[in-house]
Amino acid sequence: MGSASVIRLTSPCTLRHRALAVRLVAETCRLVRGEGTADEQSMGYDLRDPFDAEIVSAFAEIYNNIVLHAYGRREGETIDIAFHIGAGMLTIEIRDTGVTFDPTLVPEPDLDALPEGGMGLHIARSMLDEVVYEPGPPNLWRLTKRHRPAATSTKAS
Amino acid sequence: MPIDFSRSDQGDVSTLRIAGTLDVNTAPELGPMIDKLVEERRVRVVVDLSGLDLIDSSGVAALVALYKRSRVHGGQVSVQGARDQPLAIFKLLRMDKVFTI
Repeated sequence: MGSASVIRLTSPCTLRHRALAVRLVAETCRLVRGEGTADEQSMGYDLRDPFDAEIVSAFAEIYNNIVLHAYGRREGETIDIAFHIGAGMLTIEIRDTGVTFDPTLVPEPDLDALPEGGMGLHIARSMLDEVVYEPGPPNLWRLTKRHRPAATSTKAS
Repeated sequence: MPIDFSRSDQGDVSTLRIAGTLDVNTAPELGPMIDKLVEERRVRVVVDLSGLDLIDSSGVAALVALYKRSRVHGGQVSVQGARDQPLAIFKLLRMDKVFTI
């Protein structure tokens, strides 16, 4: 993709490994914003910057979808994640070999009805500049967000 | 950071403090606490999220379930102290109006 630098993670794709991937996303966001990594002693997430919060929110939902739906919680599956760090922009490519689906068939949640499910893709789409899904194998999710220092709100209102 | 939660009661008001991460992994841990609050038909439940760093749609679903189930017996559920990523999620999903954050 011609990015300045790329960070890759190949990991078992389970909910037990989710925190590892999410933490890597959070740390990569700090690099895009020109900051160093967080305090090594900190066990919590530092998501005060909206850029970090929105990417982590979106990634976490896509990761959940892959574990729960593409792989159906099966053990022994893997996920490949590539972080392309550009100038003020982060693109995350996620590859899995699970069941494919058609994102265009996923309805927008009726937020007035206080849904208890079906919100993940809505969160991802709303928090990012671009969400691309290409069925495989391997299936590819491409999540892109530009860092706008002055912008502190999500696209959705 | 894993989830950390506790409950305290004062009169008709129960305060549920949730800190750390409320997500697909940790939300099930909260289930028994939510069940108990609903079974006891608490008049008012205040969910204190001032210590919450991260929430996902599964975490939101757990709180929505508490809200819906409490309403069945006339109970009120409100959220206070949400900040940063959790607050962004609540606003996106319009939960800030429901929970009067």
